[in-house]
Amino acid sequence: MILRTPPPKKRRGEAIAAESPPPPSDRRLVIYDHNPPPVPPDSSDQFLCTYQCRQMVKADFVDALTTAEKQLHDYQSKLEALNQNLSKAEAESKKFRDQFLYTEQELVAAKRREQVLQEQLLKELNDSQQRFRKQLQSYNELELKLQNEMNLREKAESSAESADGKATLLERKLSQLSESIEREKRHLSDELAQTKSESKLSISRINADLERMKCKAKNAEEESELLKEQLEGVMKQFNECLHQKSEVEKKLSSFTLQDVTPTENNPLIKHLQEELRNYESEVQEARKLKSSHENIELLKEKLLEEKGRKERAELQLSKLQELQLSLNNLENELSSWKLMMKDIPGVSCHEDIPVKFATLQKEVIDSTMKMGEANARLKQMEVSLDLAQLGKQNAEAEAALAKEKAEVLKSEIKRIELMLSMVTDERDKFRSIINELKKPKNEEMTDEAANMTIVQELELSLVNKEFVIKELENSLCQQKELNDRQHNEIRLLNERLNDETRRIKSLEREGDRLCSEISLLESKLGHGDFSSANTKVLRMVNTLALGNDAKQTIEALQTELQKTKERLQAVEELKSQSGDTGKLVDSYISEKILKLKEQIATLEKREERVLTCISLSTQQANNYTSQPEISRQIEIFIRKMNSIPAFTANLTVESFNRRTLS
Amino acid sequence: MVSRTVAKDIITLRGSAAIVSEFFGYAANSILYNRGVYPEESFVKVKKYGLPMLLTQDDGVKSFISNLNAQLSEWLEAGKLQRVVLVIMSKATGEVLERWNFSIETDNEVVEKGVSREKSDKEIMREIQAIMRQIASSITYLPCLDEPCVFDVLAYTDKDVAVPFTWIESDAKLIANPQMVKLHSFDTKIHKVDTLVSYKNDDEWEEQ
Repeated sequence: MILRTPPPKKRRGEAIAAESPPPPSDRRLVIYDHNPPPVPPDSSDQFLCTYQCRQMVKADFVDALTTAEKQLHDYQSKLEALNQNLSKAEAESKKFRDQFLYTEQELVAAKRREQVLQEQLLKELNDSQQRFRKQLQSYNELELKLQNEMNLREKAESSAESADGKATLLERKLSQLSESIEREKRHLSDELAQTKSESKLSISRINADLERMKCKAKNAEEESELLKEQLEGVMKQFNECLHQKSEVEKKLSSFTLQDVTPTENNPLIKHLQEELRNYESEVQEARKLKSSHENIELLKEKLLEEKGRKERAELQLSKLQELQLSLNNLENELSSWKLMMKDIPGVSCHEDIPVKFATLQKEVIDSTMKMGEANARLKQMEVSLDLAQLGKQNAEAEAALAKEKAEVLKSEIKRIELMLSMVTDERDKFRSIINELKKPKNEEMTDEAANMTIVQELELSLVNKEFVIKELENSLCQQKELNDRQHNEIRLLNERLNDETRRIKSLEREGDRLCSEISLLESKLGHGDFSSANTKVLRMVNTLALGNDAKQTIEALQTELQKTKERLQAVEELKSQSGDTGKLVDSYISEKILKLKEQIATLEKREERVLTCISLSTQQANNYTSQPEISRQIEIFIRKMNSIPAFTANLTVESFNRRTLS
Repeated sequence: MVSRTVAKDIITLRGSAAIVSEFFGYAANSILYNRGVYPEESFVKVKKYGLPMLLTQDDGVKSFISNLNAQLSEWLEAGKLQRVVLVIMSKATGEVLERWNFSIETDNEVVEKGVSREKSDKEIMREIQAIMRQIASSITYLPCLDEPCVFDVLAYTDKDVAVPFTWIESDAKLIANPQMVKLHSFDTKIHKVDTLVSYKNDDEWEEQ
């Protein structure tokens, strides 16, 4: 509201002079002060006049008054208009003030929103940082676990290698031991061969000695026989001598009784006595010889026995020495074995070696299983590592997005701050304008035009500012929406991408597994493997081969039959031709004929059976079963008794009977 | 017997079993001809599957294959047949030289509920034709069978199948370390037949 305080009353001339300068054409506002400017002195002289001048002046004054009144009216109307404009302007200023307050509120709200957004951003940043840190931690943990697993795997590999090395060492030792055992075996076998050869030699020697001794024994026997004969002769002589002696004694006794002159008999008696003594001595010598001979024979036998024992003892001694040598060698080897076994941990005797091998093999298997498990875990870790890396990449992407968002928001904040500064500047301007407008209305005439221009300018600027603000707000909203949409899309795309990558990897793994399974199954299928729990393999009896085989058997049987028939005919012809030649021949031939007949009968039976089998196998099943007899037999033997051999046997018997009886 | 309407190309279980058993008959004849198990002059040319197919005139082989097809058809209708294998063996040593493996997958729903399926007959014929062409062209990579050979047929069935009178249980007559070649397959929507030939490794052939 422009207040204009009327200037202090001055002289008319001064007032007119003061009012004489026309208002500026540009209608700018002139600020009235309480201390008006000094009136120039020349203007007061214009109003000094006489009575006529007073009348003139009065008329002029009245005119001026009327004009002033008119002007006053004009000014009042203008004032009213200005007041209206002022009220309008005040209302507009109120509006602007309200708008300004609203914008201030909006600014505050925007600031608060900005603060909230900043806080959210900070929170998100913190969350993303925390997530990133957690992922980094998990990544580090996974790396540590991976390293541990790698170490474990290396350890397992090294232990497996060491176990393999030990196993190879043990295998080498075992091979060495087996070689040594084989060498020993060979050595022992050589020794055995040597001993065998030596024993053969000794046996041959013994045989030679035996032969010698046999010869000697034969000679001794011959000698003994000769001696026996001699002995017998001597005994005969002795007996004769005894007989003669008894006769002579009889004669002597008879002679002593007769007292015959003994002079001629005494030399005879003496001679006879001498001969008797000689014969007795010879007999004693013969007995001695015989006893000596017997002793010799006994001694010889003893000698032989002793010689045999001696040789045996020598052989055994030699064997003993060799055995001792071998025993020493075996003891050395056994000690070496024992030392080796001592080197092998957990082995106390040779029986523990296979157990140890089994345990080592189990250990190797366990280590390979552990290796497999470690590999599986490693793969899992790799998968989790990939997932963690993907998560890390996602987090990095999200962090980058958040950073971009933060930058965007910062830029928005800057823009908003710029807007705010602009709005505050305008607000200050408005305030200054308002303050200026609050000053007194003494300079209404010039001020009102200036006010009008100012107000219009303000209005224009306000409108422009509003427009700009609206545009900025719209653009801000659009950009916000765009950013939000883009962020959401990016997030969704990232999530989808991660899901798809995971799905692709899982599908690839499944595909590999399925391909391996397919290849395994195809190989099994092509190979012809089957599960005996669900499947059984059946084969149709191949009548072609059967027929061929049967034909061959039939042909063979027929040839045999023909041969036997020919033989039979030949035998019968021979029999007819030579009917009287010996009972033995007849019996022999009859036996042979019987045998041949039996063979013929068996061959014919076999032929019948083969023919029935062929007829059975080549007939159509339907035609076969449609026959009443056969269907009856099928019911009886197969369905009731559940026995195919009984059915076939019955069929063969019936067909045989039919053919033979017919 | 194939119960199918030309307009709708409906395939029933019986029809599918007949198609598969018929296919096996012609495939067996083709294999016996191409592998020289029986002399060429014992075969006669007929038209089937849009191709000139060779059928044996040997009565024994004919009756054998016809009996076989009848039994296979029965097992296919019961859904009990898993695989049919034609084995070629050396006559002198009995060693298995080739295995023509026909694996069969049956739609159990059709067997249990008796529903039917739809498929174009031309499509089935086209698929069978492709297999027959592959069998004929197999002589380019299969080793020559210089010695006299015999053949046999094995059927892999379910465990609960009653063994018919003219069939006996047998071993699988496998080849050690075989070479395998997978051929095409055909599908009637009720039975799916995969073909695979496994033969004795060429290195082993050369060593021998």
